Amino acid sequence: MSNATLERTSDLSTRRLAGIAALVAAAVFVLWGLVAPASTPGRILRVMFTKSALSATLRLSVPIAFAALGGIFAEKSGVINIGLEGLLIISAFTGVYATDVTGDIWLGLLIGVVSSVLLAALFAVVCIEFRADQIIAGLAVWLIALGLAPFASQVIYGGPNTASVETFNTITIPGLAGIPFFGALFDASPMVYLMFVATVASWYTLNRTSFGRWVIASGENPKALDTAGVDVTRVRYAAVLISGLLAGIGGAALSLSLGQFVGNGQTMVNGKGFIAIVAYLFGNYNPVGALLSTFLFAGLDALQLRLQAAAIIAVPQSLVRTIPYVAVIVVLALFGKTRLPEAAGEHYESGEDR
Amino acid sequence: MEPAVHLDGITKRFPGVVANDDVDLLVERGSVHALLGENGAGKTTLMNVLYGLYEPTEGDVYVDGDGLADGDDSPHRYAQPPKRFDSPADAIDAGVGMIHQHFMLVDPMSVTENITLGNEPRKWGGLAVDSARSRDEVVDLCDRYGFDVDPDAAIEDVSVGVQQRVEILKALYRGADILILDEPTAVLTPQEVEDLFAVFEELTAQGKTIIFISHKLGEAMHAADDITVLRDGKNVGTVAADDVTREQLAEMMVGREVLETVDKPPVERGESVLTVDHVSATDERGVEAVSDVSFTVHEGEVFGIAGVDGNGQSELIEAITGLRKPTAGSVAFQRDDITNWPRQRRIDEGMAYIPEDRHERGLVMDFDLTENGLLGSQHTPPFAESGRIEWDRARTHAQDIIDEYDVRPPNRDAKASSFSGGNQQKFIVGREFERDPSLVVATHPTRGVDIGSTEFIHDRLLDLRSNGKAVLLVSSKLEEVQGLSDRLAVMHDGEIMDVVDPETVTEEEIGLLMAGEQLPEDSAARSLTEAGDRSVAAGGESQ
Repeated sequence: MSNATLERTSDLSTRRLAGIAALVAAAVFVLWGLVAPASTPGRILRVMFTKSALSATLRLSVPIAFAALGGIFAEKSGVINIGLEGLLIISAFTGVYATDVTGDIWLGLLIGVVSSVLLAALFAVVCIEFRADQIIAGLAVWLIALGLAPFASQVIYGGPNTASVETFNTITIPGLAGIPFFGALFDASPMVYLMFVATVASWYTLNRTSFGRWVIASGENPKALDTAGVDVTRVRYAAVLISGLLAGIGGAALSLSLGQFVGNGQTMVNGKGFIAIVAYLFGNYNPVGALLSTFLFAGLDALQLRLQAAAIIAVPQSLVRTIPYVAVIVVLALFGKTRLPEAAGEHYESGEDR
Repeated sequence: MEPAVHLDGITKRFPGVVANDDVDLLVERGSVHALLGENGAGKTTLMNVLYGLYEPTEGDVYVDGDGLADGDDSPHRYAQPPKRFDSPADAIDAGVGMIHQHFMLVDPMSVTENITLGNEPRKWGGLAVDSARSRDEVVDLCDRYGFDVDPDAAIEDVSVGVQQRVEILKALYRGADILILDEPTAVLTPQEVEDLFAVFEELTAQGKTIIFISHKLGEAMHAADDITVLRDGKNVGTVAADDVTREQLAEMMVGREVLETVDKPPVERGESVLTVDHVSATDERGVEAVSDVSFTVHEGEVFGIAGVDGNGQSELIEAITGLRKPTAGSVAFQRDDITNWPRQRRIDEGMAYIPEDRHERGLVMDFDLTENGLLGSQHTPPFAESGRIEWDRARTHAQDIIDEYDVRPPNRDAKASSFSGGNQQKFIVGREFERDPSLVVATHPTRGVDIGSTEFIHDRLLDLRSNGKAVLLVSSKLEEVQGLSDRLAVMHDGEIMDVVDPETVTEEEIGLLMAGEQLPEDSAARSLTEAGDRSVAAGGESQ
């Protein structure tokens, strides 16, 4: 026990050193690029800081950010929802299918969200009512969606990919959209704007409303909340359903911005739900922090796509593709100092003591 | 007398156990009422009935000023029907608040947020918590009752005493007139205990009624106006604190005369069992906590170590039991140098250990007693045969400990966490003694344990001594180490100041040694350091 404590303190300082080293390396990279625009760093920087790169980052952020916001609500309340990936997949498919059937993209979005909320409700019942292990139930949600969505597509469209449907039109704010680089913020899909609204709303809900307090108390010390006269089970159900709602918007937005659900392999969601978990952990359960870390990962993803296309560095494409995931590991190892809610993952049963 | 609470004939049965048996309790408004009893006497159960956590099997709960104010205690005269509390929320509505032994607080939240949790003042049509108003209300509450609490501090940053005050404020914020506190002093330092009793006075001066649960005679007599004693789930009697003596209360609690002095038969001292030779050890921070300590414990001897907590006793004991590696010196057990032996081998060779923190080291709280009884013997026959655990054997073993050591309730399938502290301790003591050890290392064996169990554990330790076993006893209770030991070492700042004869040494002299001073030249107390060393040199020749 004593040695462990000792090691942990020394471990922290080496981590801090490594973190500083990483930041210095990044700074050197940027300076080099600025001083010598013709060098490799210079060319990479030029690819990074374009309006189209920012707009790609925002587009790639949408599903991750919504899933991360949803994950915050669930985990803050004490229910670890690693089924976010599954919620994204199911709503991505249902959103496109419903748009195809109804011909209305907004109605498609709504139905996509409903499907995700229903799957989240199933997860909530299994975890809260039947006290199943949250991690296993979460994996089940993912596997169910991963099997169900391409199968439904196969039945309906005769292949893992659905037919094409209409996509969200971009909303352009005149004038502001013309600003270099940052103009991308004002020339985007309505889902991008909604992402910012949802982040602020989530932050407000968690930090300024009674419900937010209850969610936090439910994840930290459910017994305290129970003795204060608030039903822990209801708070947890609400939080998990909110995670279904938010992840549902993210999933439907993902497929509806492409106009098609792609069901090959890991489907078009392709790990975004898991990146979302990393994003909110790295953001320390703060919605704004989660959004910023989402930008980091989505930005690296956008960069990776551009590096592949531009072939600036002589590295095999498949290695370039791993950049965002390598970044996840590096970031978590060097900078992660997340404090998990005390009662996360634990069941709570009210009633007679002990 | 104007009663605030009247419990009338409360009986609470659990499967197989009667926790409360026809208990009447009458508590006067504006008084401090102590509920005194040993571990497992049914105090907490009774209060959980009053607080709506348990529904009574039989009996009525009256909590209502209007109904009780007419001065007639006969329940049939009450204007109001008895209360039915289905949940704590009902009890809170009726003005009953309870402060549990384990605080119900959310660590990262502020004091204000914790106090208002579930009842947050809101603004903007419920869309936001009115933080300014919550803070004002909490500040007002603190002012009214004279509490010195920072409303903005996070719970994880304040002391246990302050956390307890936050719990009291939480109950007051919800309009409690009757406050129940379960063992409120168990977690407090002596100074904090005094502060808490001052808070009691302030609250009762403003008309609040306080019921507190305790198993400590002294504090019940000191802080309470009236004392009700529970024993085996029954109300033994209610007395005014001023009209009763400690002895009378103690007798009410245990149902017989308490022997104040320990009867210690003379025992022939045998060969050396444990020899600690110039041992040093460091603590978690790498600071030297034990400096060059040497002593020997013999068969048929209780060797006591006294001292203020934190003077290296824990580290020394860990070095002996194999939980910490000494930085210098050696430890010998019977004839072997065991300095580098693993823990398991020490157990197998007959070293039993009653750890100071029973939750951390003594028991696995999520295991039932059968599993806990197996700990330390899980690899050895007869409990394990070729890698397979003999569960039948383990069950009878646990049952034997329960019967022999009077663990209540006698249910070996219940989780360790569901037992009271005293019963957990009895089970640990039982498990360790049943190993038939040649040496028992007992650290604070009676901490948090009631009088009856304490006496029982003391008797068992002396039985071991009579049977020629060696006992190394560490305790911060002076009368315990002094009463049980044959030789008494006093530790200060990692060193043994002196080894004295507990019969002849005075409390003042022990106090001197504990403060790091030497005994005066003319002291009557015999220093036994030499005697101990000599007997080692002579190969364990008896004195």
